[in-house]
Amino acid sequence: MKKKKILSILLVSAMTVSMFAGCGKKQEAPAEGESSGDSKEGGITVAAIETAYGSKMWEDVCAAFTEETGVKVELITDKNLEDVIGPSMQAGDYPDVIHLATGREKALTETFIKDQNIVDITDVLSMTVPGESEKVGDKIAGGFTETSLTNPYGDGKTYLAPMFYSPCGLFYNAGLMKEKGWEMPATWDEMWELGDKAKKEGISLFTYPTTGYFDAFFYALMYSVGGPEFFDKATNYEEGIWDSEEAKTCFDIVSKLASYTEPTTPSQANDQDFTKNQQLVLDNKALFMPNGTWIVGEMAEAPRAEGFEWGMTALPAVKEGGDSYSYTWFEQAWIPGGAKNQDDAKQFVAFLYSDKACELFAGAVNAEGEPAPAIQPVLGIADTLEGDNQMFYGIYDNGAKAAMGNFAAYDSGVVGVSNREVWFDPVNSLVSGNITEEEWIEGIKKNNDQMRENLIK
Amino acid sequence: MKKGSGRSRFVFLCAAPAVLLFMIFMIIPTINVFRMSLFRRSAYSVNEEFVGIENFARLMSDENFIRSMQNTILLIVVVTIVTFAFALVFAAILTREEIKGQNFFRIIFYIPNILSVVVISAIFSAIYDTNNGMLNSLLSLLSGKTVAILWKGETVVMTSLIVAMIWQAIGYYMVMYMASMASVPQSLYESAGLDGAGRITQFFQITLPLIWTNIRTTLTFFIISTINMAFLFVKAMTSGGPNGASEVALSYMYKQAYTNSSYGYGMAIGALVFLFSFGLSALVNMVTRREPLEF
Repeated sequence: MKKKKILSILLVSAMTVSMFAGCGKKQEAPAEGESSGDSKEGGITVAAIETAYGSKMWEDVCAAFTEETGVKVELITDKNLEDVIGPSMQAGDYPDVIHLATGREKALTETFIKDQNIVDITDVLSMTVPGESEKVGDKIAGGFTETSLTNPYGDGKTYLAPMFYSPCGLFYNAGLMKEKGWEMPATWDEMWELGDKAKKEGISLFTYPTTGYFDAFFYALMYSVGGPEFFDKATNYEEGIWDSEEAKTCFDIVSKLASYTEPTTPSQANDQDFTKNQQLVLDNKALFMPNGTWIVGEMAEAPRAEGFEWGMTALPAVKEGGDSYSYTWFEQAWIPGGAKNQDDAKQFVAFLYSDKACELFAGAVNAEGEPAPAIQPVLGIADTLEGDNQMFYGIYDNGAKAAMGNFAAYDSGVVGVSNREVWFDPVNSLVSGNITEEEWIEGIKKNNDQMRENLIK
Repeated sequence: MKKGSGRSRFVFLCAAPAVLLFMIFMIIPTINVFRMSLFRRSAYSVNEEFVGIENFARLMSDENFIRSMQNTILLIVVVTIVTFAFALVFAAILTREEIKGQNFFRIIFYIPNILSVVVISAIFSAIYDTNNGMLNSLLSLLSGKTVAILWKGETVVMTSLIVAMIWQAIGYYMVMYMASMASVPQSLYESAGLDGAGRITQFFQITLPLIWTNIRTTLTFFIISTINMAFLFVKAMTSGGPNGASEVALSYMYKQAYTNSSYGYGMAIGALVFLFSFGLSALVNMVTRREPLEF
């Protein structure tokens, strides 16, 4: 009996001790941090999403930054960056610089924008690039620091630094167009004519990877229909804007496009199967899809129709002689409000626009070792490009205007809906015929007021 | 007396670590979910604003939430009934009948359970593919004309999910039923056979009543696991699309909490799902209560 009791006590104490051992480790961790904290005192933590550009370029840039300024950088890169830095941020431990674009499913950047939890970096623009004599603001190409993507609250202050830009437009098989002798449509009317011609050959006019790709498409469409003025009003949810003539034109074009869309598209328009939709273009089953320059690297290994050649065009004009627009998609780097070493973080952001960093980014290779240049939005960079990229980035030299910006940020007063759900997801149902254009517009109008009332001013 | 207090102190000390761990990792987080459901906040908010039951009130008029709940209930009902029926019948056949390759079938049925949901979604993506998928090719072969059903399209996406979930679940429950069927004494069947009871009568009169406790347990499992597995399947197969047609309660909660930065609203959904699954399990438990039979 006594033996049994002693044994139980032993077991329980073993369990208790092991439990405290767990706590002990926790206490140890910060202790370790402290010891390395001496060297970290001037150091920063940089968290960067690993995308099609690979993560090697970030290692190189961080090393170059340390070499230039002597500030140590601890780098975190991951394809699911939100899952890696999210838990520690919920516990109050923030990286000093985060490179993560808006428009991701987990919407971490949007969350910080809504919470107004991002450091104002307007002063970085007037800082000198480390190791150079030029100012950051003079190096960044025009327009990039004036959009709602970088100045989300429309107060003239910059909170997010523009990174890696990519022109978006309609991607197609240039080889097929040549082979069939089809002209590139300059207006939407010509587009529909081409759609009818292609239909006779069993080719659909249009497909899209997921409805998420409609943002760039729709923004460019709004620009080409009503110019920057209409775009600003619409993205600020102005009252009655969706009843306007311009809005009607946009909706009509998307609805008509839906009727020309390859019928299997909606069932594959999810995060798992979207490459099947992209494959439709490679297989000559669909002519156009909205996309960005990363598509070339993304589908590099995919089989394709004979004579396939990537082509990219801006959105057709609404009327003959009208403007055609190509949306400029870019990513963002920002400093979270909880960053401890904000001065060095700002230095790092400034360094991202140095010639050295731009060169390292442009020389990026992806995980398969293929070149995947990440292009910083600095002046004169497009001249240094080669191959497909020369054509893609040259789109603005060929008459297309650049469309930039997005829907204005609203605060947490908007609950339960998002722009994508309201504006773009219903396109799936338009294509499959489960809703009508009127129902789509009705849904938009219903939510527009809610968003306007909660705009962050 | 002294011995008594020493003993209770001993018991207290023995139980303390487990209770403490349970408190820290189960009770407190659960309470926290309920607390956060009363606030307006994002996942990383510095400030939070108390809004009372506003989140819950909003849920009641949120069409997308109602649709996701409908989908969840549809899955619970259909997946449970079909899986339950198939698993029972297969288990009965494999334990009661002598067929060749029994073990082979047992393994075959169990394999889907070992596979991760991501693998299963990949398999079903290949099956459901509209242009080159197995299902459409098979149907085309049988019907003699090209069949192009959009298995992940808005109208049939839930059916496609149900089929995949049933396929995944049958083996697990089958093995559970087999284990309890094997412990039913052979003599009962023999004497029933002498009395002239056929196989079907034996199944309903002997097997079912004697494994009833096991069935009750699995029914609770069905409810909890369907709610959880539905999230994984939806995430891996459809991302809730097209246009929210395959959204289930937990995937909708995740979407609100993270994608839409409405953490408090998401937690309100979490709280409701918690109560719903708790209530449903209790209800099923109550309805299926029988005097346990001894053998």
